[in-house]
Amino acid sequence: MTQPNKPINRRDFLRDGLWGACFAGLAGTGAVLASKSSQQRFVWQIDPAKCTACGNCATFCVLQESAVKCVHAYQMCGYCDLCTGYYRPEPSALDTAAENQLCPRGAIIRTYVEDPYFQYTIDESLCNGCGKCVKGCAAFGNGSLFLQVRHDLCVNCNECAIAAACPAQAFKRVPADKPYLLKGQG
Amino acid sequence: MTCKTGKTNTGLVAGIVIAVAIILSIVSVVRYDATGEMGNGLSIEYQYDISEYGKIPLEMIIYQQVGKPLPTGLKASHSIAFKDGIYVSGDKKVVKINNTGNIEKEITLESAPTCLAVDDEGVVIVGSDDTITIFDKSGTKRTQFVVPQKNAILSSIVLNEGLILCADAVNGLIYRYNQQGSLVNIIGQKDPQKEDHTGFVIPSPYFDIAMAADGLLRVVDPGRHEIIAFTLDGHREWTWGKTSPKVDGFSGCCNPVNMAILPDGSFVTAEKGLVRVKIHDADGQFVGVVAGPDQLEWQGPLVVCDAPEQFQSRGFDVAVDETGRIYILDTVKNVVRIFEKKQ
Repeated sequence: MTQPNKPINRRDFLRDGLWGACFAGLAGTGAVLASKSSQQRFVWQIDPAKCTACGNCATFCVLQESAVKCVHAYQMCGYCDLCTGYYRPEPSALDTAAENQLCPRGAIIRTYVEDPYFQYTIDESLCNGCGKCVKGCAAFGNGSLFLQVRHDLCVNCNECAIAAACPAQAFKRVPADKPYLLKGQG
Repeated sequence: MTCKTGKTNTGLVAGIVIAVAIILSIVSVVRYDATGEMGNGLSIEYQYDISEYGKIPLEMIIYQQVGKPLPTGLKASHSIAFKDGIYVSGDKKVVKINNTGNIEKEITLESAPTCLAVDDEGVVIVGSDDTITIFDKSGTKRTQFVVPQKNAILSSIVLNEGLILCADAVNGLIYRYNQQGSLVNIIGQKDPQKEDHTGFVIPSPYFDIAMAADGLLRVVDPGRHEIIAFTLDGHREWTWGKTSPKVDGFSGCCNPVNMAILPDGSFVTAEKGLVRVKIHDADGQFVGVVAGPDQLEWQGPLVVCDAPEQFQSRGFDVAVDETGRIYILDTVKNVVRIFEKKQ
């Protein structure tokens, strides 16, 4: 049995319409804010094409140990026996003796692959982001070692102290969902 | 601190402490370096400086530049050859430049060249990755063929008695072809059963070859800093080369990047990183320097590759003519410098 429709007066119509508009507006605003907050979250990163490995990353970070670390683009590496990112310019021998290593902290690990190739990995717990190995690699090699801000360490300061001290303007804000600027992926 | 009455003057002490604190605060504010202008503050062990190796004593420089550098007119010059004029490959063309810098001839290529050779008749042979293209003297394409190995990058071509030898930097092999494109043999294959068949170490795409007057092929093993003599049927004869950043050696991951052989049998070698062009005699003994970073007007730090795309393009190439002149292709400034032996 159908009931006759209740007639809607103008006041009810306006009141219901206003409530509906408020809900729609709130929902829309929430959606826009949610999408903006996810799209506009940015983090600091080093553009390896601009970085000069000046050493400021090691000392200007507000953290006690810099959030900048050396990373390695393995696809660009030559896996050299005489790696100029690993060895001093005139090593007495191509071994793992500390006096032959370029890194003052011994943060690069040399592993034999097959004759005559060696793999070099970074021990990030020892690396302070000074960039000495980056310079050594770029001076003679393929430039496969480079510096990046590690986002598991970076506190993402609004005013990054390293960015302010970067002479090459290599620090930039990048979207948080793509936080690394890697070499050899172009 | 005591006054005349022998009591400690706490007010005076407090004043001094406050004054010292204020002075220290001012000093720290003045000395605070937010912009990094005062350096990184790291100790000497963190500094990397190879500039001392780039300083070459003048008495070691036995060549001098002749005239001004000749622009190649190319955006990305790659290789150089000499035969009655300077041939330079780059972009998607080969240009022939005369000694006054005018472009006499231009050959358009289908793809970017990776190596170049010119024979006595003016026939131009160009390698572009895995493809060899032969052009006659007028620049008309005569033949084109592809080397057998996958992903090959041909980094050097030489001609010998009608045969073409080309070096593949990816696979570390040298292919010997006739001019019709039939493969005759392959040189440099790694063989674990033979002690001296160790293959080549080629960390970046520089793998140069040259034919010597003694009939032996010379091959640069850049990762080992050696130049190896091979017979054309692939027997390894002897090597020379010394690993050292000093002027008489080769250093870095891969040097020398290019070489040429002078009419007297001595070698002209070009290095990247420490940008140097040097002379070794036919037995590999260091003779002297053609040009170092200063003579080649290298500005800024001795760096070969800041950006990924540079690691294949910044090694200088060299060519020689029958009079012993040396032509250095500066692949950064896209110019050719001509050097003559000092009197």
